[in-house]
Amino acid sequence: MSKKGLAYFLILPALLALLFVHVIPMIWGIVISFLDLNVRNIINWQSAPFVKLQNYMLVFKPGTVIFTGFWRSVINITKFGLITIISGYFIGLGVALLLNKDFPGRTIMRGLILLPFVTPDTVAFSFWRFIFRSRIGILNDMLKSLGIIQDNIIWLVGDRSLYAVAIASIWKGWPLVALMLLAALQQIPQQLYDAAKIDGANAWQRFKYVTFPYLKPVTKTLIIFNILWNFNAFNQFRVMLSENPGRQADIPALFIMRQAFNHFKYGQGAALSIVLLLIMLVFTGIYFYVFRVKSDS
Amino acid sequence: MRKRKYEIFKKICFALAIMLVILIVLVPYMWMVSNSFKTNLEIQGMEPSWIPKTFTFENYKRMNELVPIWHYFKNSMIISTGTMILTLLLGTLAAYALSRFKFKGRTPYIMTLFSTQVLPGILFLIPYFVIFNWIFQTFGLKMTNTYYGLIITYTQFSLPFATLMIMNYLDSVPREIDEQAMIDGCSRPEALIRVIIPLAKPGIAAAGIYSFWMGWNEILFAQILTREDVRPLAVGLLDFRQLTKSQWGSMMAACIVTTIPVIILFSIMSKEIVSGLTSGATKG
Repeated sequence: MSKKGLAYFLILPALLALLFVHVIPMIWGIVISFLDLNVRNIINWQSAPFVKLQNYMLVFKPGTVIFTGFWRSVINITKFGLITIISGYFIGLGVALLLNKDFPGRTIMRGLILLPFVTPDTVAFSFWRFIFRSRIGILNDMLKSLGIIQDNIIWLVGDRSLYAVAIASIWKGWPLVALMLLAALQQIPQQLYDAAKIDGANAWQRFKYVTFPYLKPVTKTLIIFNILWNFNAFNQFRVMLSENPGRQADIPALFIMRQAFNHFKYGQGAALSIVLLLIMLVFTGIYFYVFRVKSDS
Repeated sequence: MRKRKYEIFKKICFALAIMLVILIVLVPYMWMVSNSFKTNLEIQGMEPSWIPKTFTFENYKRMNELVPIWHYFKNSMIISTGTMILTLLLGTLAAYALSRFKFKGRTPYIMTLFSTQVLPGILFLIPYFVIFNWIFQTFGLKMTNTYYGLIITYTQFSLPFATLMIMNYLDSVPREIDEQAMIDGCSRPEALIRVIIPLAKPGIAAAGIYSFWMGWNEILFAQILTREDVRPLAVGLLDFRQLTKSQWGSMMAACIVTTIPVIILFSIMSKEIVSGLTSGATKG
């Protein structure tokens, strides 16, 4: 067998897997999004009537339940993403700078901060739900003993629920940021700092002109991945709130899931998930465009 | 003198900051562990405390009566192990090809692997449900509520990143080793199995743990595609919420049972996993 032939042969199983589990379902999803696939015809999807763009029209027609619910969930997830990504990045950066110093127990610390990251989502968000409970949770108790609040606050219903989920997600998300930034920090040669010191640069200037340029590539990757991951957030909302978190904390994934599996509008759900994908593509496009312009100037 | 004082001050601040980080990480776990040893009465009481007033193992005994935790545990073990094996089988071969050969479509393939990492899961959920139904209707092959159905689904999630992780590791194994093995009379597949795979063990193990963890963690697909007999632990834990009386103590006990396997796996290979995660996400 030729060298190239062997390469294709080795990659073939993975390529077929990619085709069957990613490409075909995605095309299938696009097809479904043009059908009125519902509880009556789900057994035999070919029999579902073709409805052209009707499923998509509803998403862009103000006043419909779909329109209001979907765009509200998109706004919620954007808000959630902004809070989580920005706070998570700065906490991660702070810890990375801290752990970049040499001190006894540093290796143990690095293992320890991995803990929130590896803890299964259901577990982590279950105990955070427990912490945020209004009467029996420890958070209200701590806030009361510090004198910050007088009465128990209801965290998990209504206006505060989105922030409660965001706090738990930040707690779970910063370790990965810290570890990745730390990996980048350790590539910076010490001589650069020495040279900067000789030139009389203060701590802030050293960070700005020596450290940060090294962190920039990782930061770019981290932020784009975080934008997309947070946009797809599901577990934290499902576990801490419920399948239906109410209008203040509803998110696209849950909204689409309910459309498909509670209201049995599979075609509508598929159309919504395609719209969601397009929104994400727009976000990604804007992000890369902004960064390109910045790096040119 | 003043300078020395300043140095000491700096050291104290540093130590305090480290302490703060440790506290932030550990406090939620302490709350979980502490409550798993409390009685229901105490949990429902008005004053939460860190140390159980009456220390009890009751929750660990009762959790399985309330929710079939050990049954879910077994399901999760089968599904996660299956995902790991299938991912490593396909991933190692693909990673070797990507690392050792330059062929047409190599770069687009790697780009596709990366982009699958950020696609919304919900985008695939509805088609999967429809396709699984269709397979059953047309071929009579049951897909929903089966172990293999979920294993195939989860391999979807883990394969791209696992392939990239193994590829990165193989890139660090010098090509000369392949060549030497082939000069010594190995064919290329033999060289891969006898020489390269043993050398790449840490990278493969890290990718394996990553896939296992992925399967252990997932809920979106599991809650739609399984019922009680195949349901994995991550979704099974939520059963505690459906009980008429809240059972936080038993739920926390079950949470600990769910966490232990992943902690063990990660602590065995933490160094390889960290470097796998960081390099997998920064390169390319």
